Amino acid sequence: MNGKRIAVLMAAAGLMAALTACGGSAAKETDSSAKSTEASAAESESAAADGELTFTYLRDDSTTSFDLHQEITENNAFAIDKVFEPLVMFDADGNIYDYLAESHEISEDGTVYTFKLRDGLKFNDGTDVTSEDVKFSIERHLEIGGPLPIEADIKSIETPDDKTVVITLGTAYTPFISELANFSNGIIPKDLEGKSEEEFFKAPIGTGPFVVDEWDPSGDLSFVKNEYYWQDSAPTVDKLIYKVVDDDNQSINQLKTGEVDAVEDLSFAAAEEVANGDGTKVITQNSWNVDEVFFNTLDEHFADVHVRRALAMAIDREALNASQTHGFGVTANSVLPAAIRYHDFDAVKALEFNVDAAKEELKKSAFPDGFDTTISISSGSNIRLQEAQIIQAAGKSIGINIEIDQKEIAAFREAFKGFNFSIMINSATADYPDANSIFAFQVDPEGFSKCYWTSYVNDEAIELLHEGQTVADGDERQEVYTKLQQLLADEVPYIPLYYPENVVGVRDNVEGLEILPNGSAVFNKVTKN
Amino acid sequence: MKKLLKKLRHSTLYIGLIMLLLLAAAAIAAPYICSYDPISQDLYATLKAPGTSEHLLGTDQLGRDMLSRLLYAARTDLAVMVLAEIVPFISGIFIGMLSGYFGGRTEWIISLVTDTFIAFPYYLLVIVVAFMTGAGIHGIFITFMIVGWLVYARVAKPLTASMKNSEWVQAAKLMGYSDLRIIVKEIFPNVLPQAVVVLMTDMAALLVAIVTLGYLGIGITAPAPDWGSMISEGQTLIGTAPYLSLLPGLMVVYTGISLSLIGDGLADRWR
Repeated sequence: MNGKRIAVLMAAAGLMAALTACGGSAAKETDSSAKSTEASAAESESAAADGELTFTYLRDDSTTSFDLHQEITENNAFAIDKVFEPLVMFDADGNIYDYLAESHEISEDGTVYTFKLRDGLKFNDGTDVTSEDVKFSIERHLEIGGPLPIEADIKSIETPDDKTVVITLGTAYTPFISELANFSNGIIPKDLEGKSEEEFFKAPIGTGPFVVDEWDPSGDLSFVKNEYYWQDSAPTVDKLIYKVVDDDNQSINQLKTGEVDAVEDLSFAAAEEVANGDGTKVITQNSWNVDEVFFNTLDEHFADVHVRRALAMAIDREALNASQTHGFGVTANSVLPAAIRYHDFDAVKALEFNVDAAKEELKKSAFPDGFDTTISISSGSNIRLQEAQIIQAAGKSIGINIEIDQKEIAAFREAFKGFNFSIMINSATADYPDANSIFAFQVDPEGFSKCYWTSYVNDEAIELLHEGQTVADGDERQEVYTKLQQLLADEVPYIPLYYPENVVGVRDNVEGLEILPNGSAVFNKVTKN
Repeated sequence: MKKLLKKLRHSTLYIGLIMLLLLAAAAIAAPYICSYDPISQDLYATLKAPGTSEHLLGTDQLGRDMLSRLLYAARTDLAVMVLAEIVPFISGIFIGMLSGYFGGRTEWIISLVTDTFIAFPYYLLVIVVAFMTGAGIHGIFITFMIVGWLVYARVAKPLTASMKNSEWVQAAKLMGYSDLRIIVKEIFPNVLPQAVVVLMTDMAALLVAIVTLGYLGIGITAPAPDWGSMISEGQTLIGTAPYLSLLPGLMVVYTGISLSLIGDGLADRWR
């Protein structure tokens, strides 16, 4: 054989070999992560030798900023929340509890919020935390707005003494307390302790369990524990390293070999492998996410409620969930994630899978004989391609011909944000643990996303949305939200498919790692045997 | 020993042909061999490992039968491979012959174009053009129409140039035959064997390219089965269900080997 022919064969074989090397996202650079891999591996070895506990957490994207008022994406949020902490916090069931605040009180009419700070709170440089710091933090957030703006109509913030903060709203806004639990409402020192913004956020000063040690905005990030931490004891972890590797297969291999202690956000397929693997296990937590099918209600076909209902009834969501999430997801019945209060598996009934009923439903529409349309997904996501094919087959079963349109992620976003799609599959995420976070985004046509780019308008739904924002937490609010969820389940501007779990892969010897429903990990009590 | 080697060398052609014919036969007979529709899903029977009585080669993550998918993918991929070669094969040879026969200005212009194309890596061209034309079979055809003729032109040109001054071409000229007739009737039959050898190599390369495009999501589109997209879809499950990617990968290698053997065999025979 001559050289060229051998080359061709090599290419064929190489394509297979490339499988193990190539990850899902091809576009991102890997150079920096490869370099930093060596650096941090060396580091963790030397740290272990000192008898200190070093924990290496593998993530797929680097932390680029600590400015809590300007950021929203996970790469930054889950680093910011290690340094800054809010007055109140959320748990896995969507309940709010006091955190930096020792107690909080909400007036009967829902407009006056009074917070008492804990005793002995200190920033990581040893200065005391006072009510002035809280006032400054919220005011800076209000001024900047940012990607997670405070929606409550704050009229005044008063600080009668060092430990008390009184926030008065113009109108009652029940989700406010949950908004305050967000990382973006962490407490920063007044006037940034006289530092410039650039200086401050390079070496941020907060009350959180960890302090930034070394940070490469395009690569790894390491923290040391905060010696002044307010909870019972300082964190068990002396050094926390966020190591960046953006390739799935490589991540899993590093976990398998013990090069890292844990891997954030595993794909379902990988999760199964890690769960059953030697020396590895997974930690799961309900998430604030829902994977959904979105209809563009301005599209001639999907403006018709019968068409939407027909397609929803043609999809076997139970089977879709079972086959795609490998046991790390729950079939969804509502657009509200199960980990958020007021979600109810029993009260809200999604349309049931029934192909005959789906055909009947389509007959009631303006397109009884079916039609051709397109489903948009982002390329590079294998699970989306599988889901799209399931929906394609479902459409075919009732006479709707669906073509799959895969676009590179940036092009995909540009298309749907320009309302340029018919059907798409995407994931909706609550920004804070309140039902309003989801509904404001998906029901309010005045919102910037025009109902998650579906342009869906329903007056009754809008009315319920507003009611839910002012009614106090309790049975009455439950009733409002159940009604709203059922309305959406019947009108199906979105088909909720499943609630994915947050899955973190860890080494067998790791104990005490906790995952929050937003996907952030809590390292305070981690130990390694 | 020498004899044996010689025999073996001659048999490469037959081994290659038998391998390819077996595959082609299986692909053509796919509807009779397979008891499953390659695109029909069974979400309650996903990821069945190969070797079960119902699914000889198992099922994929949508519960589709792997054997049917592999064979139907062979139909698509092999058909696209053969069809996509036709235009570049003919146009490449003729462009090369024109360039070699006329020389001068014609050669200069053609080599300007070929040199420009050669300046870019093959896959870069393929991916750029495929991306512009969009996913689907038509995209593959257009892509290889644009980039595929080069190899044939490069083979045909020097051969033609060397034949141009040969006695029989000169004789044909003296007899008053037109240039076109000389090219088609006298030169083409002599260029053809070399071009066919190249065709075999190039088909294997083209198959890999088709599969690569499928792998990248800009080739043959779902739900039509294709080895490339099968490899790509199975990739995330490489740890738990490696057969999903391995089997289509082996099919590509098998086809590539058979084409190479044929190419080698032909080259030996016509040397």
